[in-house]
This record gives sequence, structure tokens and C-alpha cells, in this order.
Amino acid sequence: MTIKQADARDLLGIALKTFREVVLPAVPAEQRVPALMIVNALSIAERELAAGQEPERRLIPKLAKLLGEAVPETLDGPDLAKRFAELSGRLCAGITAGAFDDNPDLREYLWEVTRARLAVTNPKYVTDPPK
Amino acid sequence: MTLINEQSRPRLEAWLAGQAGARRVTIGEVTLLSGGSIQQNLAMTLTVDGGRFDGRHAVVLRTSPPTAIADTRSKSQEFAILRAAFQAGVKAPEPLFSCGDRAVLGCDFYVMRRAAGAGAGFRMVKNEAPQRELARELGRQIARLHTVRPGTVEGLDSLPLPEPTPALAAVRDCRTWLQGEDERDPVLAWGLRWLERNAPPTEELVLCHRDYRTGNYLVEDGRLTAILDWEFAGWSDPMEDLGWFCARSWRFGRFDREAGGIADRDDLYAGYEEVSGKPVDRARVDYWEAVAEVRWGTIVLMQGGRHTSGVEPSLELALTGRMLPAIELDLLLHLDAVERRRA
Repeated sequence: MTIKQADARDLLGIALKTFREVVLPAVPAEQRVPALMIVNALSIAERELAAGQEPERRLIPKLAKLLGEAVPETLDGPDLAKRFAELSGRLCAGITAGAFDDNPDLREYLWEVTRARLAVTNPKYVTDPPK
Repeated sequence: MTLINEQSRPRLEAWLAGQAGARRVTIGEVTLLSGGSIQQNLAMTLTVDGGRFDGRHAVVLRTSPPTAIADTRSKSQEFAILRAAFQAGVKAPEPLFSCGDRAVLGCDFYVMRRAAGAGAGFRMVKNEAPQRELARELGRQIARLHTVRPGTVEGLDSLPLPEPTPALAAVRDCRTWLQGEDERDPVLAWGLRWLERNAPPTEELVLCHRDYRTGNYLVEDGRLTAILDWEFAGWSDPMEDLGWFCARSWRFGRFDREAGGIADRDDLYAGYEEVSGKPVDRARVDYWEAVAEVRWGTIVLMQGGRHTSGVEPSLELALTGRMLPAIELDLLLHLDAVERRRA
């Protein structure tokens, strides 16, 4: 049996919880804004670590389809990041050249990318639709 | 507060006395004002002995930031813009003195009268009832600014004219500032493409504020006291200011109140039409609202870059950069709505 050490994600999570519960209530009014910015920054970092490469993994087949390419084999780590960046770059070039001007699938993809990014940076913004 | 120290204070006081034609100017308490993520603003009290400004004055001294953001005006240009706006009857803070001599403070700066009131956007939208008269007044004010045309006012000759049109100039500026980010981010690429394809011709160029929004004006007891933050002002399509004001990203969460989170769009437009005597071109406001989202998205990326480049390490700047996905969501929502209206 091994004893598990806290990894980056664990440390961030518990640091954030402690900061929220112990430090934040004692923060004087003048420092409240930076204190809340710290909470926000740590929360984004925590969600980013939790998501890992899952968003890219989910988006890459859709991206490939949009570009009319074979869905890439299962990739991981830097290979996945590299391939995703490559395909995104090709999509951008196509958009700028007008190749996607009236393509409804593009719009759907843009929504998906944006929702995936927002889930990391500001998940409440997604669940708070216009009234 | 290192800008005003034992060495610089007497230099500044002597310079101010010269400008004011006074025997002596004494600087009272100096405080750094908030909201200076782009500009640095120092509030101070001046005691002026003699001359036309004899007496005590609450003023703000405004300087450039350590790293200038693209497309902001020089301090002397901003001063000239403020003067033009003030003379056109706009509630801009009264501009007093402008200094291009770096021997005084080590940077360009100008001094304006300090306006009373509060401005924080998130508080402005907290009102139970919509602030309809405030929105109307903001419409009147911006229409008044839009009476200033190129070639009619002294001191504005150095402001560039947008070529070939304000819309296409806005697209080109964003592409330049993005430094290739639109070649990696398909939402930005699509936004820019849409703006290019839908760019309207512009019949008239007017002086625009170009950052006219909730958070950039002051209110006291429900009444407008001043319009601030003139560093982006320049010649453009008058509908740009209305689009920026109404953009979803500037409603501070009050998405149902389309005029800056404070009231209905119709309230703002009514005030505008009252002064301009012309109906607001709603389709063109739609276009400029899309510009607003792309441009604001570009600006937050640049702000984030000020942190990541290591030049200006700042938690606020770092977090500003991470606002991009929310702005992109606003852009997509807006483009969907525009296309539904057109269909």
C-alpha cells in the first residue's frame, strides 16, 4: 500500500477551501477586491487542472469533421495539444479566407468551443442565460 | 504615490503656478484613484494663491500607464479632445492644464477638475427600477459630442482619420493588436470575418468617445455628473458609441436592461434623437455592437499580455485576459440575434 501525497490539484483545492473559509471572512474591506481576485484565480486554475485535456479530446473529432479530415487516432499529452492547435489554425485560416461563410456546422462548433472554455473560466456565465 | 514625492512636488507646484498665473500653488492630500487599469489617476487638492484660479480646487492629475495600450491617445491629444467635448457642452470634467515637459514629472500629464459622484459599473446596475432618465441623458450627451466634426475644432488635427472606413479600420486595428491570435482562435477569426463581410459605409465622421459605457461615467443622486476615460476617443461612425454602450459585455449582468444595464435601449435612443434630430440607425448599431465584442475581446487579450509578458505582473491584468470566453459568448449570442432579426 502506498501513501498518496497531495498533488497540484489537491493542493490548489485545499488552499482555495482554506482561503475561502478561514482567510476571506477576516479580510478587511480595503483588501476585499484583491482577496476575491485570488479566489477567482485559484478557482480557474483548479477547474483548468480538473478538465485537463478532456475538452480538446472531445472537440478534436468535430474539428476534424468540419475540415473534412479523418478523425485522428487517439492522441494524448503534447501530441493531442499539437494536433488540436494545428487543426484550429487551419480552421481559422479557412474562416478568414471565407470558406466557412455560410456553414451552420461552424457556428455549432464555435458555440461548443466557447462553452468548453467558459466552463473553465466562468461556468456561472454559461448557466446564466439572457433574461 | 511615487509620482508625487519630495523632489517632484515643488517642481509640479511651480509649474502649476506658472500655468494658473498664480503667486503660489500648494498641493494638498494626494490619493490614487481606482479604476486605473489603463490610466493612472491622482486626486489632489490645489490651493491657488492669486490669478484667475485663486482659491481651492479638487482636481485629478492623469498620466499614461507604464506600458501603453494600443490606440490610446497621447495625454496632449486627450487634453485637446476633452476641451473639444467640454466646449460642445458635454459633461466632461473641465480640462485645466496640460504638460508635455517631462522635466516636471517624468511623463506627460494633464490636470482636470474633479467631478463628484460614483461610477463603479457593478453598483450602477443594482438599482431596483430602471434609470430611464439617466439613460436618456446619456443619449443626449453623446449626441452632443457627435456634433464635433473633423476640421471644425482646433487641436484635433493630429487625430487620425479612419481609412478606408471606420468599420474596416476597426477590423484592421483588431487584427494588428491580436498579433496572430485570430489565427488560433476560431471565434475571433469568425467575428472578424463577419465584421468584414457586413461592414457598412459611413456617411459621416464625428468625434466619438469610443469607450462610452457604464463604469465610465459618474452619477450623484441619480444624476449624471461627468463622462470620464477619454483615452480612446477619435473620429468614427456615430453609431459606434451607441453600440459600445449597449453591448452585452457592458451590462454588468443586467442583460435585460440593454442600455448599459441601467435602462432600455429606447431610453438611450430617445435622448440621442432628441439632440441629433435624426433617428438612430438600429441596423448600424447592431453592427457596431458586434465590433464592440470583438474589440473588447482583443483589448482583454492585450491586457492579459501585459501580465504574461512579465512587463507588468498583475493579478488583475491576468484575470482580465481570462475574460475572453465570456466576451466570445456575448459575441455569438449577439450575432445569432442579429441574424434572426435580418431573416
